[in-house]
Amino acid sequence: MIHVEKRELVIPGQIIAEGDYRLGEGVFKDGDNIRASLMGLADERGNKIRVIPLEGRYIPKEGDRVIGIAEDDYYAGWILDINSPYQGRLSVSSLLQRKIDLDKEDLAKYLEIGDVVEAKVQEVDELMNVTLEVTDDEEGRISGGRLVEINPSRIPRVIGRKGSMISVLQGEGKCELSVGQNGRIMVWGDERRQVNKVIEAILKIEREAHISGLTDRIKEFLQKESKGG
Amino acid sequence: MTKEPEQFIVDGKRLDGRKPEDMRPLTIEAGVLEKADGSAYIELGGNKAIASVYGPREMHPRHLQKTNRAVLRCRYNLAPFSVEDRKRPGPSRRSTEISKVAREALEPAVFLELYPRAVIDVSMELLQARAGTRTAGITAASVALADAGIPMRDLVASIAAGKVDDTIVLDLQKEEDQLGGGDMPIAYMPQKDKVTLIQMDGNFKPEEFEEALDLAIQGCKEVYEKQRKALEEKYTKVEEK
Repeated sequence: MIHVEKRELVIPGQIIAEGDYRLGEGVFKDGDNIRASLMGLADERGNKIRVIPLEGRYIPKEGDRVIGIAEDDYYAGWILDINSPYQGRLSVSSLLQRKIDLDKEDLAKYLEIGDVVEAKVQEVDELMNVTLEVTDDEEGRISGGRLVEINPSRIPRVIGRKGSMISVLQGEGKCELSVGQNGRIMVWGDERRQVNKVIEAILKIEREAHISGLTDRIKEFLQKESKGG
Repeated sequence: MTKEPEQFIVDGKRLDGRKPEDMRPLTIEAGVLEKADGSAYIELGGNKAIASVYGPREMHPRHLQKTNRAVLRCRYNLAPFSVEDRKRPGPSRRSTEISKVAREALEPAVFLELYPRAVIDVSMELLQARAGTRTAGITAASVALADAGIPMRDLVASIAAGKVDDTIVLDLQKEEDQLGGGDMPIAYMPQKDKVTLIQMDGNFKPEEFEEALDLAIQGCKEVYEKQRKALEEKYTKVEEK
């Protein structure tokens, strides 16, 4: 039995359901009751129940695509800042997808401190040690483009349902995007003005994430701007 | 020093006109600071306080990290201008103690085990202090934690009960606190029905203690409703903009 309406704002400790549900993020079981652990919007889909968070830091999860910044190196790779309480480790063999001779080669050749990397979270252990990898789906070291940082809890809105928002941003904005689950977004475009507009649109999404009809407003925003230019 | 009034309660009314079971006017606002992950502003009678939350984030120095959970670091601080004579800035015996009990009052509510090796910093800055600052601080800190998107079992509401003229009263004001017969601040998780802080000074008979505890728990439930409203208002307000 569910105790809240769809997309109702709930606060920590509030009872949102009773009985047999699969638990998503932001909920916990307390005897028979299912309570919210986060402030956010209650969401029930099938028999899975969760709370969509409105705030909060990025916590790495296996399989997430993230955009990291090289912060330090160690003998066989780099330590990346992934906009989270925990740092990610990326080994040189994973970045290059081949083995190299660590005695002979200088790692700085492949990645310098401050470089931006698109990677995937390969593993998170119980101590929250994060291992990153670069597969064929990820870019690895990123060159060019602009980096935007927003609240990680708004990333699902930047992607949109089945990627609808991202295709609006890329299509109407004439830019290419790479979205990291950790709240970092890379934007590439031929024209600087277009890139600026898309970045403005992304910041607009961050501000208005909880108001419905967002995709249409963003579409309108990008079309209006490009006519004026 | 305040002069002792002959009677604290005249015709069922206290010095400021409240009934024994009334608390002072309480307002809470969530999300008042831009740079903090979560924040709250509280006014409880003459008390004014801001609570802020940063984290979870990496714990430095590293030897203070806990490998199986996050550390909650609380800081209660009185501003120099918060009291009648200027308060010398910096930690004191009193503020160190209150920081510790505030941490212990909030810890049971937070899912610390989700963030091993990390730290959550909570700061409670008292801008104006007029008796009952620790309860105001804890109440605001709990709202700030929720505002920061930190997973919690429940909110923590806090208020004091006390004794003046052998009557049990809620939420002592300054004169009652300094000259009355006893003071008992509690913090309470309303959904879980658990007390997370209880302190007491003065002398209570066992039945007075029971009565004070019940009154304070009732008070906490009132505080909880204000906390809930503060969190909800943050989002309804944005929508109107």
